[in-house]
Amino acid sequence: MVVWTGRNYRRGYLFHLQCISSKWTYSSTSTARPVIPKRGEKDFEPTSAGGSGLQLHVLDRSRNAMFGALRATRTIANKSISYAVWYPDIARAHVTVARGIHFTAMGHSVARQNAAEDGSSKLQKRLELLPEEALYLVERGAMLCFKQTQADITGMDDIEGAPMSVQQAFAEMIGQEDLSLEKYQVFAYFRRLGYVVTRSEPPTSAYPAPPPLQVQKAVSPSVFQRLYSLFPLFISRFSRIWRRSFDWWRPLGLGRWIYYDMKYATIFRSLRFIPSGHSVPPKSTEPRPVTKSSPYKIFYNIYKPSTSFRKTAPPPPDFFVVVVDARSTVMPSLHELTALFDVLPETPPPLPRQRGVPSAKPPNINAPASNSPLAPTLQPPSLSLRRMFRWMLPSTPAPPSVSTQQQKPNPFAALKAGKRSAVIAAVDAGNISFFRFSQGAFEEWPMI
Amino acid sequence: MSLITPSNRSKGRRKGGPRNNENNRIYGNPLPVIFNTPTERPPIYKALGLFGIPIHEILNPHCEGFVDVATRSVWVSDSKQSMLLWQRGFFGKGDLSRSEPSWLARQINARKQAGKGLTSEEITAKRRAERKQFKLDRAQAIAAAAADAEAAFAEGRVVPTPGVAPDGTRLIPSAATWKPSTSLEEVPQLTQDDDDEGDGDTELEEPLENIEHLQLTFPEAFFLSWTLDCLTVCNSEGEPLTLAQVWTLFQDAHSPTLLLSIPPPQRRFDNPFLVNYAVYHHYRSLGWVVKSGIKFCVDYLLYKRGPVFHHAEFAIVVCPVYEDPADQTNSPFDLQNASPFSWSWLSTINRVNSQVQKTLILTYVTIPALSRLREDVLSSPACLAHYSVREVVLRRFIPARMRD
Repeated sequence: MVVWTGRNYRRGYLFHLQCISSKWTYSSTSTARPVIPKRGEKDFEPTSAGGSGLQLHVLDRSRNAMFGALRATRTIANKSISYAVWYPDIARAHVTVARGIHFTAMGHSVARQNAAEDGSSKLQKRLELLPEEALYLVERGAMLCFKQTQADITGMDDIEGAPMSVQQAFAEMIGQEDLSLEKYQVFAYFRRLGYVVTRSEPPTSAYPAPPPLQVQKAVSPSVFQRLYSLFPLFISRFSRIWRRSFDWWRPLGLGRWIYYDMKYATIFRSLRFIPSGHSVPPKSTEPRPVTKSSPYKIFYNIYKPSTSFRKTAPPPPDFFVVVVDARSTVMPSLHELTALFDVLPETPPPLPRQRGVPSAKPPNINAPASNSPLAPTLQPPSLSLRRMFRWMLPSTPAPPSVSTQQQKPNPFAALKAGKRSAVIAAVDAGNISFFRFSQGAFEEWPMI
Repeated sequence: MSLITPSNRSKGRRKGGPRNNENNRIYGNPLPVIFNTPTERPPIYKALGLFGIPIHEILNPHCEGFVDVATRSVWVSDSKQSMLLWQRGFFGKGDLSRSEPSWLARQINARKQAGKGLTSEEITAKRRAERKQFKLDRAQAIAAAAADAEAAFAEGRVVPTPGVAPDGTRLIPSAATWKPSTSLEEVPQLTQDDDDEGDGDTELEEPLENIEHLQLTFPEAFFLSWTLDCLTVCNSEGEPLTLAQVWTLFQDAHSPTLLLSIPPPQRRFDNPFLVNYAVYHHYRSLGWVVKSGIKFCVDYLLYKRGPVFHHAEFAIVVCPVYEDPADQTNSPFDLQNASPFSWSWLSTINRVNSQVQKTLILTYVTIPALSRLREDVLSSPACLAHYSVREVVLRRFIPARMRD
């Protein structure tokens, strides 16, 4: 077996081929089908100046394979191609002939006035595509798009308009309806992998709206509520201050010699007086810390390929994607991230793998991680009394533990997953880097 | 057994093992103060014990440290106190060692030339030497295989797959199967000071004096002296400082007018000591062991129990956020990461930490506005209640793998 040496082949080469397939050219077996060659192992360096004989031979063979793959003409069968007409004024492509499985996940139906022959117009529903969807199908070669014209030049009755090349399609559709080249690249990348991509904010009322998300928004409370809940731990400590004459110079007061039931856990718990957590929005002296022109807004809703997606009633999305240009924007600031997280739902911490018997339904893990601003430190007085006289009290049943051994989430997995997450795609001249920003919750998973 | 091969301990021995038990015994206390029940029990304790009230006595090791403003650290010279601070909570770092103050142990090992108690630096040196040898062997094998393939091609024979002999054995070694050909008997000598004249007996050699000290950063030193009251900070003349003096000294050490003899300007909330201390205190209070993260391009590393148990899980980048942007423009301190940084730098840090299986956490610390609070709030640690800490977890998202 001969080992190939050389560069790696990017699938993207094939998709940049320019190809127009129409009714006149019959795609047949005369053109070779493009084949993506197998990758081989990389060699470290040329052994002698310019490479040894074997290396040059293998390199030539690899190059020929690459050029052969690029040279082939991409074709599509006549029976599989769809047709559409692009209307620039409404920035939509109306699909006249829809074939294939693409349209189960793309396109929406819109009612438009249809001028009939006798002059009367009536509303008719037709399938329309957003610019990115139309452009994706044209680039793939699965659809032939015509631009709306006034005169009939093709001589065909069923199709009106002038045929558009791929370059013209790019020129027409990029820039319409808030679509930039970066957003299109992210859309095409996800679609090629099989995901379903829809817009988070419907551009028109006819576009199917995503389902409303159950969000616990950090609303800006009234002044009194803010005073009470602004620093939850601080307020609880404050109440302790008056009870135990809290001295900021001696936060633990370890000067005494004897202590009742002192453990390391108690020490660590009483040291947590720095406010933390995302439940309260960060303060700022500026009235609007997030400008209107900030690019950090959710743009795409992503559904995994395995979910059953219905266009009329979309399920809750799996991921939320923001698209930014990596060269011209910087990382989001805290205020922008908070504004982004406010509109997202919370995800429960990930459960460990089920070993043996699978549980029927995972319990609500959010119970211990309650987001109420009331600190849990108001419990100790009653509990300590109970503990003091435990030997006297009848044996009370232990409170039902929320999670059994199998269902308790791993703290590290929960810390790494975070509570709400958004995916930010930073596009740098065609190279897309995806980062997942999640809200951390370290204060809910203390180590001691 | 070679040190570069992955250890193949059986599953049964993973939880137990003498070394783990030893570590649990030595490093079992998370803080320098320990509790114990007093041995002699006055009757009142016994009575209280009947009620189920356990009474504990707190043992406080009163350590002493000297502040060094130029390096912004507190030095603990007594070796017993250094080991105590390291073993209970992993505070500080030996200035002549990698982490634990082990310089003296290494000198003794070098003199005795007995590799009985190898320190971590010696283990690392041995592992690196073995790996270098492995890489040399591998490079030779690859060159030989390439020469064979080249000769076969020139003659027109069928070119064999490089690295596999005709009978099917692998020619190029991999890290899992390589064994050192000659056992490395010599432990790499780290110092060659007085080995020439020494001959094993210690009478002829000068006695070793431990010149190493433990270095505590300002946040660590303030945590020990403020919350636990187990460290006394002395100035260079040896006079112990009160907590209020320590508080002001630690803040002034960051001011740019330090070396001039003019008094420092108005105290501010964005002093680097305050910002870093807020983060340090937050994670220490949650039970994490917080160490410096300079090795991985970040500010702090979080360990669950300590560096001797397991590698760090999280890498913290401290990002200060000003409530009032005017404070940032007027600030004499140039706080790092105060402005959001570029995607390329974020990508760099993320990649570096992903390679070592750590999760990157951006910790945002909000700095209160000077206009909102009076300046005398800064005179005591009460100002720490006005900061707030939020975490954002950053991970790479690979759509091709999330499809399931």
